[in-house]
Parts: sequence; C-alpha cells; structure tokens
Amino acid sequence: MIKFYSKRKMFFAISFTIMLVGIISLFINGINLSIQFKGGAIIKYSYAGEIDSELAADKASQVLNRDTEVQLTDDLATHSKKLVLNLSGNSGLEAGEQEKLDKALKAEFPEANLELAESNVVEPFIGKRFLIKSLTAIALTSLFIVIYVRFRFKKISGMSAGIIGLIALLHDVLVVFFTFVIFKMPINDSFIAVTLTIIGYSINDTIVIYDRIRENQPYFKKKSFEELVDTSINQTLTRSINTNMATSVSVLIVCILAYIYNIDSIKTFAIPMFIGSVSGCYSTVCLAGPLLVMWHNKKHASAI
Amino acid sequence: MKTNKHVYIIVMLLITGIALTAVFGINADPLKIRGMKDIRFGIDIKGGVEAVFEPSNLDRVPTESELESARAILETRMDAQNILDREITVDKGSGHIIVRFPWKSGETDFDPQKAIAELGETARLTFRDPDGNIIVEGKDVKESKVQLDKRSNQPVVTLEFNDEGAKAFEEATGRLINKPISIYMDETLISSPMVNEKITGGNSIITNMKSTEEAKALSDKINSGALPFSLVSKNHSTITPTMGSGALGVMVKAGVIAFAVVCIFMLVYYRLLGVVACFALLLQIAVQLLALSIPQITLTLTGIAGIILSIGMGVDANVIISERIREELNGGKTLGYSIDTGYNKAFSAVFDGNITTIAASIIMMIFGTGALLSFGYTLMIGCILNFVSGVTASKIMTKSMSMNKVFAKKSLYGLKVKVKEAK
Repeated sequence: MIKFYSKRKMFFAISFTIMLVGIISLFINGINLSIQFKGGAIIKYSYAGEIDSELAADKASQVLNRDTEVQLTDDLATHSKKLVLNLSGNSGLEAGEQEKLDKALKAEFPEANLELAESNVVEPFIGKRFLIKSLTAIALTSLFIVIYVRFRFKKISGMSAGIIGLIALLHDVLVVFFTFVIFKMPINDSFIAVTLTIIGYSINDTIVIYDRIRENQPYFKKKSFEELVDTSINQTLTRSINTNMATSVSVLIVCILAYIYNIDSIKTFAIPMFIGSVSGCYSTVCLAGPLLVMWHNKKHASAI
Repeated sequence: MKTNKHVYIIVMLLITGIALTAVFGINADPLKIRGMKDIRFGIDIKGGVEAVFEPSNLDRVPTESELESARAILETRMDAQNILDREITVDKGSGHIIVRFPWKSGETDFDPQKAIAELGETARLTFRDPDGNIIVEGKDVKESKVQLDKRSNQPVVTLEFNDEGAKAFEEATGRLINKPISIYMDETLISSPMVNEKITGGNSIITNMKSTEEAKALSDKINSGALPFSLVSKNHSTITPTMGSGALGVMVKAGVIAFAVVCIFMLVYYRLLGVVACFALLLQIAVQLLALSIPQITLTLTGIAGIILSIGMGVDANVIISERIREELNGGKTLGYSIDTGYNKAFSAVFDGNITTIAASIIMMIFGTGALLSFGYTLMIGCILNFVSGVTASKIMTKSMSMNKVFAKKSLYGLKVKVKEAK
C-alpha cells in the first residue's frame, strides 16, 4: 500500500514546482490571447516560388492603411509555403477591404500563385463576448460540481470534499493554462475545450475515489481517517492508472499524428489535453486525498 | 435482471449491426439512415466561411422585422449562388446575423471575401412588367405583411405603397390585367403574381400562397427592399477545405488507432470482460455518430473533444466495473455473485461521474455558442450512452456469457493480482 498522506509534502513540492515554472514562464512568454478573443485579423495565403515579405507588408499596409506584419512559413512535412499577414490593432476588417487586399497582393505577385488558405477576422467586442461566455460556462460548471459533491458526499464532510475537488480542478486548469503559455500557443477556443475536458476528467477521477471512501467508511470507524483515505486510494489505484493510461495514450496518439502531419489546430488541442489528463490523475490521487485528510484532521484537532 | 446464456450473442450482433449502420448508413427506400459520411462538419473541419453581419451606419439595434428582412436578403442571395448547405442565425439581442457555409466543393475559383462582401450589399427590389421595365422599386413599398384572407381562409401577402408607388402601381395594373408583374431581388425572381384588376389606393394583396411560411418568406423579401441599412461583416473567418480535410483525416486516423490500442489493452488486461468492454465502447461510439448524423448536428473540432472525453469516461466505466468484479473474485466469491456485486458496487461511482458531466454539458449548451455547443452536445450524448452501453448492455453480455460453461472459468476474468505492500 502506498502511503499517500505521509508522502504529501513531496507531492505538494512537486505541484509547487510546476506552478512556479508556470508562473516564471508566464513572465517570460506572457499570455498570447488569440485574436478569437481579443479581436484582430490574420490572413494566410499559400504560395509557390519566392515572395519578398517586406514588399508584401508594404503593399498590404498601403491598401488597408494599417500596419501589417508579414511572416513566411515553410512547412517541411507538407512542402507548403505560407504567407501570413498579421494586421496591427484589434479591430476587424470589412470583407470588401479584404477583397481589395486580395486583388492587390495577387497583382503584385502574379507568379506566386497566391491562394487564400485561412483567414480569421474578429471584431474585439465579439471576441470579448465569446471569452466572457466561455469563462462563465467554466465557472458555473465548477460551481455546480462543488455543490453536487457537497450533497452527494455528505457522509464524508461534503463541503470540504467539494472544495478540495475544486482545488484539484484548479490545479489541472492551471497546468493546462501553463502548457499553453510554455508552448507559446495562443489562448483560443481549443483552450476552452481542453479546459472543459480536463475539468470533466479530473472531477470524474475525484468522484471515483470519494465514492470508495464513502463506501469504506462504515468499516473504518475504529481506524484513522488517514488510513481510510489511503486504503481507498490504493483500492482504486489500478483503476486510476488503467483508465488514465487508456485515455492519455489515446490522446498521445492524436498528438503524434498531429505532429507527423503538422496540423496546428489539432496540436494546440492534443498537447495540453495530454498533459492535462496526466495532471488530472495526479491531482486526484496525490493531492485531493491527502488534502482531505489534512482538512479532516485540522477540523477535529480544533474541536478538541 | 433475467437473462439466458445466448442473449450475449444477440446483443453483440445487434451492436455490430448498429456500428455498421453508423459507418455506412442505410439507404433502402423508404428507410434512410444517414451514416458517418453524412455527418455535417463545422467549417473548422471541412473548410468554409463564417461571417458575422452587422447593420452599417445604424445607431440603434435593428428591429426584429428588419432583421428578418435582412435574413431574407441573405437567404435569397445564397440561394442564387447555390449555397444551400448553410446556417443563418439571427442574434436579436445584439442585432447580428451569423452566417456559416461550407466551402463549395468542386469550385476552385470560389472567392469567400467577395461572397461575404456581396451578401451584405443593400438589396435592390424591383417590380417589373413582362417586358422587364421597372414599375416600382423597393423603397416605394411602405410595408408588407402576412394576413389570413377571411373568405378563402388562405394566407395572403399584403402590400402597401407610398403615394408615388401607389400611382405607378395603379397605372401598371391598369394596363397589365391578366398579365404577371414580376418581383425581383437583385436579379433573382422571387415572385410573379398575376394582375386580376386595376389596383387603386396603394393597397394590394398577393394570393395563391401555398403556406403561411411561403407567405412570410415573400413578405420578408419584399420588406427588405425598404431596409434602411446594408450589412457589413467585420468579423469573418475562412478556412480552405484542404486545410480542413487534413485535420479531419488525421483525427479519424488517430481515432481508429486509439480505439484499437484501447481494445487491445482491455482484451489483454481484462480478457473476457475486455471483450464485453470493446463491444460496449463500439456501441457508444456508433450511437454517438448516429446522434450527429441523423439530426444533422454540426460537428466541430471541439465536438470531437467531447467525443474523446465521453469515450474516456466509457473506458473508465468498464475499467471500474471490471476491477470491481476482479476484487470480488480475488476475495474468493463465486463468479455469478462477483459479477452482480461488481456491477452494483461500481454503479454509484459511474453514476456520479456521468451525472456531473451531463449537468456540466447542459450548462455549456445553455451558455455556449458554436464551439461550446458542439462540445456540450457530444459530451452529453456520450455520457447518457455510458449508462446504456457501459452499464446495462455490458451487464447483460457479461451475465449471459458467464452462464456458458466455456466462459465460466474464473481465470478468463483476469489474473489474481497481488497487491504489493509498501514498506
């Protein structure tokens, strides 16, 4: 049997280190809010041959009367070259204006076989509304889970179980967030999807352990709460490992294929999902249980 | 639960049938079930255009009927461009109209910017005589409504012209008795009613409407001619099908490999219970695909995340149950008792885990638009299915199999695992 409670300081130190690394990278890399949330315009063209990026930037700035940053990307896996135009500022772009830009660029580089690959033009207030709605959904979901756990697990001091479940969730959400920061991935709608998925996994893990504690409780009346929790975690350990192996290996497969085929939209989704699912398992097994014991012991110590 | 020793064969065949239906669909007249191929993918997967239109130069939120007219313009124009597979959503609160349509397949010179810019232009509504001469224009129409004609009990579209329009209309109807007047939006013919009599006073009705819906659509279109604003879109995104289908192909490939890996793992680790788990998962995935393809719910990348999460929870339900059965067996209980107790004891954990997730997914569907909506839907369906396939169907299969002598050996349900004591 693994004694999770007595090893708690080691687990707390691990989590603390992860959080510290996350915070430091936050200061170094900063938050890269996607234009989906902050507004702005990014237009991508595929092209052949050579393109003078400065010339393209000048042309775009001239047509749109707005500073434009131009990047050329070359994808080795698919041999496709892209011209990425990033318009300054956070405002959107009228479709008619974009059409003008399209014509001007095609006239400037007739040999390059320019073709629109992707465009993302977002008005800031629409992006903001989307962000607020998403955050509201996340907050309400978390709140609901605490309340549900509070009532379903009344027997094992519901409120503390709910709040500790929430702490484990918060831990995982932060891990997902820091993954985005460390990998310099823009915070976009995949961030929201991944966060929600990890919340789902994490709370499911936590509930399985709470369920076992609730079930074991009558048989542990004479023994310490610490023993009850440690035994319950150990009894469900095979399940925790097997389930999380199955899910994280699946996500890892998605991850690997996304890298092989170099699909950005899936990469920004699969990497944090993989890291988050590992964190979800860890936070439940190594953090939630010991925290529950600490809360319980503290409450009973103060009662004496 | 009453069962007999052959039921598992029926359940497994049934699941295989459902899975095949989900993959290939059924197209035997009159029964038609859409399969995997007909799933409606979001533009982030398939490629396409999403644009948010807002009124230009309008310092108030447009009224509901104005928005309906604006929508009618968009609908007519998209019909004219043969963009039929589209979604148009009117957001009354903010006065926005959100348009989504996939990249037109087979069209290489499709220009999305141009399409978006043209969709929003002010509509030019004209009434023309058979020779094509313009009689009145949209701005001369004061209002058009749908009414129920008291005599015939049929819906009719009313037209009210301003003074100038009334005069022109009176003159035209005078000379065009028994001839049609054609109503055009831009260059699209939207209706061609026959003139029965000379109409004076500027009030007219168009009869012979097949339904209230048809009448409403025509009236909205006529009103659009007098719409005091045009639409602009400063918020739009496009993605080419080559980019999109690449993502889809990778997701499908990854899904198949991941499913195979999970199945192998379950089979090796849980043996007979693993077989049951594989069928249960197959059922869950198949029904989930059907729940998308039959009602034609749009599946986006986040929706796929929802499927991944619910399958993960499906695997979990099977793992929890199998572990529980093993625990009982390791404790020296009989097979039948172990299976019953395993399912009973595992149920509360599966129940709580899935109920919280279902509730969370409903919250997402209420608050979310687009991305969150798709995630919430697939997740909710998946978790509901967890009860059906992961608990009920798998229990029937396990119980029924265990009644056969060949499957009655305890070792088929897993090795006795010795838990190592920590020092």
